[in-house]
Amino acid sequence: MKSQSSDYAIDLHDVRKIYRGKIHALRDIQMQVHPGEIFGLLGPNGAGKSTLVKIMMTVVRPNRAHGTILGKSIGHKRTLARVGYLPEHHRLPSYLTGQQVLEFYAALAHVPGGVRKKRSRELLKTMGMDDWGNKKVSSYSKGMMQRIGLAQALMNDPDLIVLDEPTDGVDPVGRRDIRDVLLELREMGKTIFLNSHLLSELEMVCDRVAILVQGEVATQGTLDDLTRESQRYEIIIAGTAPSWIETKSGLRAETLDDDRCKVIIMGADPQPIQTVLDQLRQENRIILSVQPVRETLEDLFMRAITDPATGEISSPGASPNSNRKSKGVRA
Amino acid sequence: MRQFLALIFDAYRELNSKKLFWIILVLSGLTVLVYASIGFNDTGMSLFFGLMDIENEMLTKDSFLSRILYRSIFSTFMIGIWLTWIATILALISTASIFPDMVSGGSIDLLLSKPIGRIKLFFFKYIASMLFVVLQVSIFCVGVFFCLGLRLNDWEWRIFAAIPLVTVFFSYLYSICVLFGVWTRSTLTALLLTFLLWFCTYSINATEAVVNMFKIQFTMEVEAFDEEIATLQNNEVQDNGAIESRLETIQTERDERQVTIDKIDRWHQPVRITQTILPKTGETIALLDRWLRRETDINMMDIFTGGVAMDDQGDFQRAQSRDEDREVERRLEAEYEARSEYFIIGSSLAFEAVVLALACTIFVRRDF
Ligand SMILES: Nc1ncnc2c1ncn2[C@@H]1O[C@H](COP(=O)(O)OP(=O)(O)OP(=O)(O)O)[C@@H](O)[C@H]1O
Ligand SMILES: [Mg+2]
Repeated sequence: MKSQSSDYAIDLHDVRKIYRGKIHALRDIQMQVHPGEIFGLLGPNGAGKSTLVKIMMTVVRPNRAHGTILGKSIGHKRTLARVGYLPEHHRLPSYLTGQQVLEFYAALAHVPGGVRKKRSRELLKTMGMDDWGNKKVSSYSKGMMQRIGLAQALMNDPDLIVLDEPTDGVDPVGRRDIRDVLLELREMGKTIFLNSHLLSELEMVCDRVAILVQGEVATQGTLDDLTRESQRYEIIIAGTAPSWIETKSGLRAETLDDDRCKVIIMGADPQPIQTVLDQLRQENRIILSVQPVRETLEDLFMRAITDPATGEISSPGASPNSNRKSKGVRA
Repeated sequence: MRQFLALIFDAYRELNSKKLFWIILVLSGLTVLVYASIGFNDTGMSLFFGLMDIENEMLTKDSFLSRILYRSIFSTFMIGIWLTWIATILALISTASIFPDMVSGGSIDLLLSKPIGRIKLFFFKYIASMLFVVLQVSIFCVGVFFCLGLRLNDWEWRIFAAIPLVTVFFSYLYSICVLFGVWTRSTLTALLLTFLLWFCTYSINATEAVVNMFKIQFTMEVEAFDEEIATLQNNEVQDNGAIESRLETIQTERDERQVTIDKIDRWHQPVRITQTILPKTGETIALLDRWLRRETDINMMDIFTGGVAMDDQGDFQRAQSRDEDREVERRLEAEYEARSEYFIIGSSLAFEAVVLALACTIFVRRDF
């Protein structure tokens, strides 16, 4: 396929990977990432998230891969000068100091000497590591390694930043710092591709997500799009549910404990709830709360990895049979 | 270029952080120091800067023998033992981990994700790994150069030929180490297999030498018989019967020898071919000896074995005796000396190229 769709930052078609031992890690992946957005890739363990990222970064050779990254076909080495990458479980040369690590990898990415010095100091500061820049990496804790690793990915001022579980092992403050850095980078117009298990974290920063299950994209889109179906309003009132609720379409009531009940109105449109509220007021019902509710990323995730036929949650890792039936939701 | 410099610089920092690098450097310095401490004065030789004196009127200051001795210590111990064996083994131990470390999970991901091709990365890293040996040998050579210069007033620039030569010699072994390192990703396995292969080349060379010696021995016997046959046939005076029977026995004995030679040859050929394919570690180092020796052409070993003796005037001359054993040795040596530098280094480099191509292929095709 030609790079006709270069208005995407990442545009993948038909990416396949079969590891030795007939492990189908990825089957026919289609995935698009727009420039300037934060894209979250999630999925259970062994779904193939890291494999996909490694294929983009030329660490793993795909059996088949079409598509482009920053307008150049996958595997084009020179493009990687414009990409920053933080692998999962990265290992840095233990004989280098934090600053030397940054400068070494930046040199491999063609960053000129003067710029390396300046940027490494800035990034150490951004990552809160300025006191540790001159200490050997071997003396770092896990979270500090992760921070240096992230700084390393930003040394070449990349247009696209690919992060494989960047907050792994980082403390809450560090996580917030990283989140802030990511948002700041988006402000600067960078594209960020994020791989993570931490759904709540992704929910906070991601514009779009894709869920990978057993090597296939189960669903992808903006969070709004993916949760639209499940959007609803919930009104909690005192007493038992009025009988007329069940007769109207799109309305549902659930009795809660301690003499309360929940009225659920499906849809994102606020108009229908006004009439319901009017009716309730007329009956002098006490309204305790009204709130819009939507599916969380976790709900979405659980739905994606559950087989609708059997209700079983898919087991981790790539499925061994090659013609797996597609499960989960499609957006 | 920037990437290459970065990798070289990184290799230097890695060495710098290794204790073994400094230990070898200190050992190397001590070796040179001991060498430097050997001096000659009016009464004889002194060791450890005069702590120990060995009186000998032949080894006085500026005597011919003392010069030979001093140079021989260099070629026999400094090159033959220190550089060829001890330093190389230590160098292999300290650099064996470079490639397995590089291809270990987590660190290779970072390298491969940079805009540098896998083949380029592989060879840059390989060349950078040579830094260890280049540095060590350079420092060593400078030391020895000054020892020879100050002690013998003999400013032997050719000593510095050891830097490329030892590096090349080391690279034969290191390529094997890299191949197994990339393949098995285990430093220990790579190291053990490299030593094993080194030992194999060593034994094959030794075997070849022994087989060749027998062959030369028998060939000389055949030559001797041929000579005798020729003289007997030219001799017309004596009674023919005795000559005839003598000729017959000699002829049969000669033919027996020839059969043995053919038998040996059947063994010799495959050994020879294997030797040609394998890297010539020993011979490469011996080249240095060859280049340095030409000048005086007399070696301490020759004096010990009697190959060189003092004549009436007190000068040393090559012995003229045609003792059979020495003749075999001489022919064997001549045969090895006849092999050109180009053949020795070229065929070894060809082996290295094949090994590296294999290692590089594995590296390029692997999923990390
Ligand atoms: N080098 C390899 N050789 C063989 N199989 C592999 C290799 N790397 C990964 N796999 C297999 O490919 C599948 C996908 O692995 P991958 O690491 O991409 O998963 P992941 O989604 O990143 O998982 P996690 O969330 O645990 O990081 C797994 O089944 C794994 O066993
Ligand atoms: Mg992973």
